Amino acid sequence: MSYQTLLTKRVDFAASHRYWNPNWSEEKNKSVFGKCTSPHGHGHNYILEVTLEGEVDPDTGMIINFYDLKPILSDVLKDFDHKYLNEDNLAFQDLIPTTENMARVLWDSLEGKLRRTPDCRLHRIRLYETPDLYVDYWRER
Amino acid sequence: MRKEMCVLTRVYHFSAAHRLHSEKYSDDENYRVFGKCNNPRGHGHDYYIEVKVTGDINPETGMVVNLSEMDEMMRDIVEELDHTRLDVEIPFFREFQPSGENIVKYIWLRLEPKMRTARLYCLKLWETPDNYFEYFEEEEQAT
Repeated sequence: MSYQTLLTKRVDFAASHRYWNPNWSEEKNKSVFGKCTSPHGHGHNYILEVTLEGEVDPDTGMIINFYDLKPILSDVLKDFDHKYLNEDNLAFQDLIPTTENMARVLWDSLEGKLRRTPDCRLHRIRLYETPDLYVDYWRER
Repeated sequence: MRKEMCVLTRVYHFSAAHRLHSEKYSDDENYRVFGKCNNPRGHGHDYYIEVKVTGDINPETGMVVNLSEMDEMMRDIVEELDHTRLDVEIPFFREFQPSGENIVKYIWLRLEPKMRTARLYCLKLWETPDNYFEYFEEEEQAT
């Protein structure tokens, strides 16, 4: 029988965003996105859960040391926390910052930075926009 | 890019009463099997239903599903169940026990045929902060 060990770290950040498709009329944007098209943006307290898989190091008993993980998460979130995503984060220049797209961008960023930590891979991330709305995102191996 | 999976979850709430009781059992058996849940006058819970849907992220909207469409699909389901005594007022639960297992299945049977662009991935029904029930197709992994 084989087993898998997962580790999840939860972090939060606050950000604002606006849903707007520049290829559409104002009317169409409003009918699809509703209040989320409000011109100056609106904000949320996001919670990100990062779940990692990997080998448990026999010396430390850990998949990854939280001391190593925390700076990676801070680095990934520096373009998210207290930012207006549409304008302050380059990833959303041509991408609507929906929860789904934010999860995809966060995955890419986390995966890139975790390459430096061998034996430890992203398993799944969960991004809460509000306690009532969240997205789980992962990629097949 | 490796194949991605994006599962969006939206939480809805309803408050309902129920009584667990079987006509096939004697009063003693009912009490032995269902305990406090057999109170003839019923009791109630604040139910929270997590609706999990998946599909491609639409490049034009950035969404797996439009939330206002999802709210619309759930509206009459929540309205039907909210502030009712399930085993008295809802025909399905006159036939089937209004247990968490059957409530979550009932919501699946009502919601799944309405899905258009996205696919229903899993339902998770919280009966209390300590009990929840999940319903999904067997090949999926629970989240």
